[in-house]
Amino acid sequence: MTIFICAVVTLLTLVYVFYLPGELYLGPEKTRAAYLRERKDAVYENLRDLNFEYKAGKLPDADYQSLKTSLQDEAATLLAEIARLEKNPPPASRRAKA
Amino acid sequence: MAQIGSYVLLLALALSAYSFLAGTVALVRRDHGSERMGETARRAGIATFAMVLLAAVVLVICAFQDNFSIAYIFHHSNRDLPAPYKFATLWSGQEGSLLFWSLLLAAYGFVLRLRYKTDPRLFAYASVVIAGVQVFFLLLLNFAAHPFAVMQGSLPSDGAGLNPLLQYPEMVIHPPMLYLGYVGFTVPFAFALGALIMKYPGEKWIHVTRRWTMVTWGFLTCGIFLGAHWAYSVLGWGGYWGWDPVENASLMPWLTGTAFLHSVMMQEKRGMLKVWNMWLVFATFWLAILGTFLTRSGIISSVHAFAQSSIGEWFGWFLIITFAAFLYFFLMNKSHLRSEHKLESLVSRESSFLFNNLLFVLACFTILWGTWFPKISELAQGHQVTVGAPFYNSVAIPVALLLLVLTALGPLLAWRKTSLESLKRNFLWPALGALAVGLVMMISGVRPWNDISYFYALMAAMLAALVSLTVISEFIRGGRVISGHSGQNLFASMVHLLHRNTRRYGGYIVHFGVAVLVIGILGTPFNREAEKEMGYGDKMSLGPYTLVCQSYTQEYNENYSSEWAIINVLKGDKQIGTMYPERRFYKASQQAQTIPRIRSTAAEDLYLVYEGLNPDTGRPIIKAHLNPLVMWIWVGVWIVIVGTGVALIPNAQAVVRVPAPKLVESHAPAGAGD
Repeated sequence: MTIFICAVVTLLTLVYVFYLPGELYLGPEKTRAAYLRERKDAVYENLRDLNFEYKAGKLPDADYQSLKTSLQDEAATLLAEIARLEKNPPPASRRAKA
Repeated sequence: MAQIGSYVLLLALALSAYSFLAGTVALVRRDHGSERMGETARRAGIATFAMVLLAAVVLVICAFQDNFSIAYIFHHSNRDLPAPYKFATLWSGQEGSLLFWSLLLAAYGFVLRLRYKTDPRLFAYASVVIAGVQVFFLLLLNFAAHPFAVMQGSLPSDGAGLNPLLQYPEMVIHPPMLYLGYVGFTVPFAFALGALIMKYPGEKWIHVTRRWTMVTWGFLTCGIFLGAHWAYSVLGWGGYWGWDPVENASLMPWLTGTAFLHSVMMQEKRGMLKVWNMWLVFATFWLAILGTFLTRSGIISSVHAFAQSSIGEWFGWFLIITFAAFLYFFLMNKSHLRSEHKLESLVSRESSFLFNNLLFVLACFTILWGTWFPKISELAQGHQVTVGAPFYNSVAIPVALLLLVLTALGPLLAWRKTSLESLKRNFLWPALGALAVGLVMMISGVRPWNDISYFYALMAAMLAALVSLTVISEFIRGGRVISGHSGQNLFASMVHLLHRNTRRYGGYIVHFGVAVLVIGILGTPFNREAEKEMGYGDKMSLGPYTLVCQSYTQEYNENYSSEWAIINVLKGDKQIGTMYPERRFYKASQQAQTIPRIRSTAAEDLYLVYEGLNPDTGRPIIKAHLNPLVMWIWVGVWIVIVGTGVALIPNAQAVVRVPAPKLVESHAPAGAGD
C-alpha cells in the first residue's frame, strides 16, 4: 500500500511539473519607458502628498512653492524622456506573449 | 505512515533542487527552450509545497495516532496530551519545527509562484532564490534532523510528553506567528536579490514586496509579543522580557525589518538609499536564519532553546554561503544601485528616516554583540561570560527614547527640506502637551534626579505623549482638509483620510500603538514584589492590596496533577476577588511547572505565584508582584496590529492634476532603469 501511494504521488507530481500543453505566459519585458512611467507615478504621488500637506497647513507658502517647483521639474524631465522614447521606440523584444 | 512521510520529504528535496537548478539554467540561458524549462522549475516549486504539506500532515496524523514508533512523536507527545498540543507537536521539537519552517517557506513560495504573471522574470528570479533556501532546509530535514526517524529497540507504550513550558494555549500560536515572521522575510530578500542579479529597472520589486514585508513584520511583531506574554504568564518571574538569547534572536530581524520598512519609502519616493536597503533586507533575512539557528542549535544557553543538536554546523555553512553569494552579486552589480537624489537637508523626512535607521541598526548590533558575547568570550578566554539586562538596557533605552523622538518628529517633517517656521508650526502644540505630561508626573511624585530609571520613565512618558499628540494632530489636520472639501463631519473625514492613504495613516496608528506600549514599559521601574510562607489565614501586604490565604487544594487529570492556593485579595477592607496560583506536576515528563495568576487592571497587575513547599518548614510559599501599567503593553500591541492591518488595505483612488509635459533640454536622465 505504501509503495502504491508513493508511486501515485510521484506520477502525479511528474505529470504536473513536466506536462506543459499550450503557450506559456512570458509577459512583457520591462523597458526604460516603463521604468520612467513608474518614476513619474512616484513623483505625482509626491506632488499629491505635498499639496495635501500644504492644504493641511503643515507647510509655509515659501516651502510649498519651492518643493512644488522642484517636483514639477522632476516630473517634466521624466515626461520629456518618456515622450522621446515613445517617438523613437527601441527595437521590439522577442518576448511576445500568448 | 512514517515511510510515506520520509518519501515525500525526499521527493520535496528533489523537486526543490530541480526548481533551483532548472530555474537558474533557464534564467542564465534565456533561449527558446529555456522558457519551458523555467516553467517546469516554477511548477516544481509549487509541487514542493504539496509534498512538504503532505509530510507535515503525516506527522500530525502520527501525533494524533500516538505513533511512538516515530522518535519525534515519542519525545514530544504522550497519550494523554490534549488535542491542541498534539497538533502543536509539529513545531514543538527541532525536527518538527524545521519541517514547519520548510512548510511555511514552501507556502510563501507557492503563493509567489501562483502570482508570477505580475512580472514573470522578476518572479522567476525570486522563485530561484526561495528554492535555494528551501533546498537547505530540506537537506537538513532529510539528512540531519529527520522528523520521521524511527525508534530503535522495543516500542514504548507511551511518549515522554511535551515540555511543560510549552503546554500553554499561547504556545500553540506563538511559534507559528514567529516562524511566519522569520520565514516571511525570505520573500522580500528573494525579490531584492533577484532584482539585484537581473539589474531590474526601477523600484517595482519594492512595490511587489511591500505587502509581503508588512505582513511578515506583523507576524513577527505578534510572535515576539505572544512570546513576551507567554513568558509573563508562564515562567513565573513576573517579567515579560529578560534579554534571553532566543528573545534577542527574534528582536534582531524585527529591528532591521522595521528599519527596512521605513528606509524603503525613501527608495520608492526619492530613489535613495538603494545600497543601504539591499543590505538591510539581506541582514533581516540573515538574522532570521541566525535566530532559527540560535533557537534550534542550543549553541547559546537559553530558557527557550528547546534543542541541543549538531545542526549548528549546517546553519553555519548556510549563513556563510548566503553571505558570500549576496556579497558576490552585490559587488558585481552595485553600479545598478546608484542613488538618484542626494540628501538636501538634515532637517527633512529623509534625514529622519536615515537617523531612525542608524538607531535601529545600532540597537541590533548591540543586541547581536551581547547575545554572542558568551561565545566570543569563550573563544577568547576559555570560559563564557554572559551579559545581562544592564548591558542591553544601557544602550536599548537611550536608543528607544531617541527613536521615539524621531517617531514624533518624522511625520511633521517635509520631504527634501523643512524650514524652521514649518517646524514651529507643526511642533509647538505637541511639544507643549508633552511638557505638560512631564510636569504632571513630577508633581505627582516622580523625581528624575533620584534614580536614572525614573528619569527614563519620565522621558518615555513625555515622548509617548509627544508621539500620540503628533499622530492625533496629523489626523485632525488631514480630516479638516477632507471635511472642507466634502462637508463631512471631522470623524467621517478622518476615516476618509485613512482610506485615502492607508499606508501612511496605518503607519501613524502603529506609531500610536508604540507610544501606548511604551507607557506600559515605563511602569517597570516601579515594580514591587513580596514573598511569604502562607498558612491558612496568613496575610501578606503589597501596595494597596492585602492577600489572605484561604486554603490550598489539589486536582488530578490524566496529563498532570496540580496544587492550588486560594488567595483572597482585599483592597482596604473590601474583598475585590480571589486568585488561584497553581503548581502542576506533569506525569509523562516528570516535571513541575508554576502557573501564575494575574489580576490585570489599567493601573497595575497583581501577579501571584505559588512556588511550592519550603523544604525546611513544609509550608507553602506565595510570591506576589505588583507591576504597574503592564496591560498597556498588550493594548499597545493590539493597536500596532490594527495599524498594520490598516496599512495593508489598498488606497482609495484619488485623481491628481499635474502640469502638462514640457520638453526639457539636456537634463540629467532619471537614474537607473537602463
